[in-house]
Amino acid sequence: MRWLVACLLILVSTAATAETFRFTAIPDEDQSRLEERFDKVARYLEDQLGVTVEYVPVKSYSAAVSAFRNDQVQLAWFGGLTGVQARRLVPNSRALAQGQEDAEFRTYFIANHDSDVDTQGDDLPKNVQGKSFTFGAKTSTSGRLMPEYFIREQFGAPPKSLFSRVGFSGDHSRTIALVESGAYDLGAVNFKVWDAAVADGRVDTDKVDVIWKTPTYPDYQWTIRGDVDDRYGDGFTGKVRKALLDMHDPELLESFPRQGFIPADNDDYQPIEDVGEKLGLLR
Amino acid sequence: MSAERAPGLLAGDSLNLRLARRSLGLIALCLILLPFADLAITTHDPWAELGRMISGLLRPDILATQSLPHAIALTIGFALWGTLLGVVLGFPLALLFPRSRLLRGSCAFVRAIHELFWALLLLQVFGLSAVTAIAALTIPYAGIFAKVYAEILELTPRAPVDALPEGVGRFSRFVYAELPMVWARLSSYTRYRFECAMRSSVLLGFVGLPTLGFHLESAFREGRYAEAGALLWVFYLMIASLHLWGHRRLLPWIALGSLFLLGPWPDIDGALLWRFVSVDLWPNPLLEGNWSGLWQWFGEIPDLLPAIGNTLLLGLMGTAGSLVVALLLWPLASRHFGNRPTRMAGKGVLILMRSTPELMLAFIFLLMLGPSMLPAWLALSLHNGALIAFLVARHADAIVPGSHALPASSRYTYELLPRLYGGLLALLFYRAETIIRETALLGMLGIATLGFHIDSSFAYLMFDQAFFLLLITAGLNIAVDALARRYRPREIADTPGERGHPGREATC
Repeated sequence: MRWLVACLLILVSTAATAETFRFTAIPDEDQSRLEERFDKVARYLEDQLGVTVEYVPVKSYSAAVSAFRNDQVQLAWFGGLTGVQARRLVPNSRALAQGQEDAEFRTYFIANHDSDVDTQGDDLPKNVQGKSFTFGAKTSTSGRLMPEYFIREQFGAPPKSLFSRVGFSGDHSRTIALVESGAYDLGAVNFKVWDAAVADGRVDTDKVDVIWKTPTYPDYQWTIRGDVDDRYGDGFTGKVRKALLDMHDPELLESFPRQGFIPADNDDYQPIEDVGEKLGLLR
Repeated sequence: MSAERAPGLLAGDSLNLRLARRSLGLIALCLILLPFADLAITTHDPWAELGRMISGLLRPDILATQSLPHAIALTIGFALWGTLLGVVLGFPLALLFPRSRLLRGSCAFVRAIHELFWALLLLQVFGLSAVTAIAALTIPYAGIFAKVYAEILELTPRAPVDALPEGVGRFSRFVYAELPMVWARLSSYTRYRFECAMRSSVLLGFVGLPTLGFHLESAFREGRYAEAGALLWVFYLMIASLHLWGHRRLLPWIALGSLFLLGPWPDIDGALLWRFVSVDLWPNPLLEGNWSGLWQWFGEIPDLLPAIGNTLLLGLMGTAGSLVVALLLWPLASRHFGNRPTRMAGKGVLILMRSTPELMLAFIFLLMLGPSMLPAWLALSLHNGALIAFLVARHADAIVPGSHALPASSRYTYELLPRLYGGLLALLFYRAETIIRETALLGMLGIATLGFHIDSSFAYLMFDQAFFLLLITAGLNIAVDALARRYRPREIADTPGERGHPGREATC
């Protein structure tokens, strides 16, 4: 027992403290072989930046924000709302780049065919009232924040009083599975996830289909801590941004999945921040 | 009971009649409150998804998970070190336990918060590291060990101490005359806790620590069922083979070996820790001394009363359901019924049901039945009922039947059940507190239990709100535990040699 403790102490004292640049990505897309895929991104960044780069896998949206706040990662691929949460907690942190698709992101409202909801109008159909409805994760921009915003805007009522039941599936793929099975009549999903699921044949469009596409809003972005220039050298932030914008290898971009990255800054996400405050998800 | 009254159906003062009244009371209370529960069935077509799940379980893809050996090693490492440090902290506390009310209160408090919630709290300070994982197990386990060790020590036979000559020091007396008498029970309970820790360690993956549960939850959530199936099988095998690799001599080596995998250890940032403990956890208006602001802060807390109501109702329903499930299922695994193959199958089913995380059972029922309290109720009842059934079957196997001529049904009703029922109920009442704790985890079904709101508060990074709700949850658990203790059958004799007490083994 005594030498167990001794070994523990040795291990603790030799823990590596070298300055590695770490990044994470919120778990929003297909997570199979996640480490393998993001390790390739890490190798790419390493070549571009000349420092050791490591990918830190996280499980939940809030874990990604906590890791960023606690300086366990210095760079993160956030959703719209999680990015705002993170930047409010870490002073001087800034949005660097967004995906080409993210400037005009959408949520799809999907419905089970047996729920008899009108399909494909300009607005969310009136007869969604009284149906059961599921969001995705609680702090997902496309699975929670924006769909709730559009629901309130159109019906002037919170989802809880509009629908017979409101759930949080926790994940876009799960939202699709639950609406397809009829467990929920309706759901709100990230349009990229829906399109990918349809393309892969993972969803039976005879059972579940899109009933409304929301207007566009800004979503995912890369956010970096404000203190990296001091720690990794002058102009480091600029180097990271350039590396991200120069990422053209389809194999790397597939992990996000985006066509490519374009510049973004904190102000692009003001609408998301406003909505988050209005809904009481930020304070 | 007045003496003049003619004995009615359930009147009378015998032990078994009292037990029957308590059980029927529990079930009646559950039935009376059932109309308040939301039990609608709404699903139309779960079969496609269920088919994919079953095919995944039958055709598992073991190679789909990256770094599976690492995840397995971490699962074991966290469990082992969590238990070990829990013992190191819990044992000295157990010696002080009977003397300090404050200590008993604090232990009850740390026990009352689910490991996953400890992990969510610690995550904010120590990040996704071994410190978070191990401390999330160690903290509640220290509280549990303190209590259970104290209970075991209390039963130390006095004779060896009385036989010692005058003037033997307190320490020598303890080490030579007291400890050896209870050593077997202490170590057997510690072993049992380690089994619990394995399950908890897997669950820690659900909040992001890199154990088996991390990959299991991701694969299951995203519908990669072949991978999820493989991981589930690995998990079942790990639990079922524990007696093979969990050997006393082997464990220190596993503990040492796992140390090399647990890193990198986080730099513990004192400022971060202090900010979290002194600022983040407390309502801002309280820190500023702004009383009207505090009132507003209370107003922003989501509907507390319905949440408490839902939590208690689901806990009650889960407890009553577990009773029914346990009564129905325990013969499956008992040597008094069926033959060897049926018993093997029965045991397998029970292990499967009690080892599968409730969250997964609940999701399967959610697909089949739609969102309501029903999936949660079924998941809690099956999981906990199977666990109790398994233990009851083991108790039953120790009984030598008086007559072999009785048919199975009579053996069940007249011979075995009367002898086992007290133990069964004791297990159930011990379990009630755990069931309440578990209701917290079923928020994804859209049932607004306290746990649902705690999960939301963590997601919105409102740690003050999360902490406040955790305090309420802990208070509720302590109250339920006190109530269960009040009604737990006390007349049931200890089964010596078995982990010391019939109820204790149902606490995880």
